[in-house]
Amino acid sequence: MDGTVALPAAARQTSRPPAGRAWLLPAVVAAVYVFLLAPIAIVVLAAFNSGDYLRFPPEGFSLRWFVKAAQHQPFVRAFEYSLRLAVLATLASTVLGTMAALFVVRYARRARDLLRLLLVAPLQFPAILTGIALLIFFYATGLGTRGMRALLVGHTLVALPYVFLTVSTVLVGFDRSLEEAARSLGAGPLVTFWRITLPLIKGGLISGALFAFITSFDQFPISLLLISVGNTTLPIQLFDYLRFSFDPAAAAVSTVSIVLSVVIVVLIERLVGLESIYWGGPR
Amino acid sequence: MARAATTVLPPLRRPARRRDGWNGLLMAPTLLFLLAFFVVPYANMVYMSVLYKPPDGPYLRVFTLDNYAQALGDLFYWRILANTFWYALLTTAVTLVLGYPVAYYIARAPTRRRGWLLMLLISPLLVGVVVRSFGWMIILGRVGLINTFVRWLGGPELPLMYNVFGIIVGLVHVYLPFMALSIAGALQNIPPDLERAARSLGASPWVTFRRITWPLSLPGVFAGTLLVYVLAVSSYVIPILLGGNNVLVMPIIIVQKLLDAFNWPLGSALSMVLFGLTALGVWAYVKLMNRVLRWTAP
Repeated sequence: MDGTVALPAAARQTSRPPAGRAWLLPAVVAAVYVFLLAPIAIVVLAAFNSGDYLRFPPEGFSLRWFVKAAQHQPFVRAFEYSLRLAVLATLASTVLGTMAALFVVRYARRARDLLRLLLVAPLQFPAILTGIALLIFFYATGLGTRGMRALLVGHTLVALPYVFLTVSTVLVGFDRSLEEAARSLGAGPLVTFWRITLPLIKGGLISGALFAFITSFDQFPISLLLISVGNTTLPIQLFDYLRFSFDPAAAAVSTVSIVLSVVIVVLIERLVGLESIYWGGPR
Repeated sequence: MARAATTVLPPLRRPARRRDGWNGLLMAPTLLFLLAFFVVPYANMVYMSVLYKPPDGPYLRVFTLDNYAQALGDLFYWRILANTFWYALLTTAVTLVLGYPVAYYIARAPTRRRGWLLMLLISPLLVGVVVRSFGWMIILGRVGLINTFVRWLGGPELPLMYNVFGIIVGLVHVYLPFMALSIAGALQNIPPDLERAARSLGASPWVTFRRITWPLSLPGVFAGTLLVYVLAVSSYVIPILLGGNNVLVMPIIIVQKLLDAFNWPLGSALSMVLFGLTALGVWAYVKLMNRVLRWTAP
């Protein structure tokens, strides 16, 4: 008895880290976060800089680079094109991904693991190789990459796994007795889906759609291979611009895209919590 | 007679049977989509890699192993491959060293702070890779932040970009969150009581880490290193933007062969070689880590 009473005091003494090194871990972590966020913060700062060159510290506050970017036709066209493409890819991948998730989680039996592997594979295969494979495929079949069709296919392909993963996550903890109650009260399968299932999986569905949207909007390797002449997406346009000029108009365009990402992060965090999605990771 | 049977039976039997029959329709569109635009294109690429490349067209449907002979027989490609794998290894090592403390801190943080830390860790992932590379260009460029500062101090101009250093910085930046997330997942599964028990039994913080925390976090470390390595091997954008044309990696060469030289068979063969060698490395690594995990398991 005496021993057990004495232990806690000793334990408390030893479990406190030596005062000299307690700051080390937080300091390292803070440094890594600075490293992670610095390039993004710098782009935003550069966009509001009034000087002709990206210099630091900024010379003054100005919106002139946003005005210049908005007047630069290629940027505006690319922005509109990316937006249209991302909306379509989001719609397609959300519908396909949700249906697949419903089937895999509920009905697939022997094929479940195989289907899951296949559905997540576009995330695990290098995007640049997927782009190459699609490019060769579209030419070999004579479909070509003119118009938005090839891009839409490529973007839907890489966005699909996110929707599948987020909707599956919600479906696993789903109480099916609610649906059975609706059916036994006379609701048809479509009404049941619309009134019961959909509201319950809304969180996973919307965050999957948001992931899909940003994946498409920021997509680079696949777009690089599948764009057609005259139709450029925003990341490709930015890439081309950066190869020849270095002025803060590019930073202004980047800032718009960063703001979009931040909005989406906040929305996902509000809806389901970012923690639920260790996306791209081993699962 | 038949009518009597049908009027009695349906309410009992039909729902179950009908549901089973139509369920497949849920999967059909997605499955068709994936087969048509993922499985078939990749299969087609394998097929393309054994086709003959005539001087005046993209390919002929004639079987040949010439492309592989060309890909494997040229020292140039081997050097590029070695570079590619070396940069990926470096990236993996650096992300591990930087990601582990972050993961540990996140896993042990109070819930509220953990939410913030995760949000700040994941948000860079959602910013496009071109934008992030642009940020690094502003920081590392010849007239960039660091160099202006060094020059102000009277120092020499530092070559920070358009070389291997720039690429590694960019790659680490892109893949660090993946590593930290993988490790944090494993660390969260370790009950903090284990560490407290070790400490109360007199183990120093270092010994506690080496004997308790590290071995138990190994699954996360293995998952993270594997993921980062595979992603880094196939990265294209960062090496192009931050390496200029001074550093070549395999994906750059492959895209060149396909888009500039229009040599689809050779490009496909080179893709297969990159793929195969990466898979081989992954296979060896998985074998090794299974052995280590069996060793460290109590």
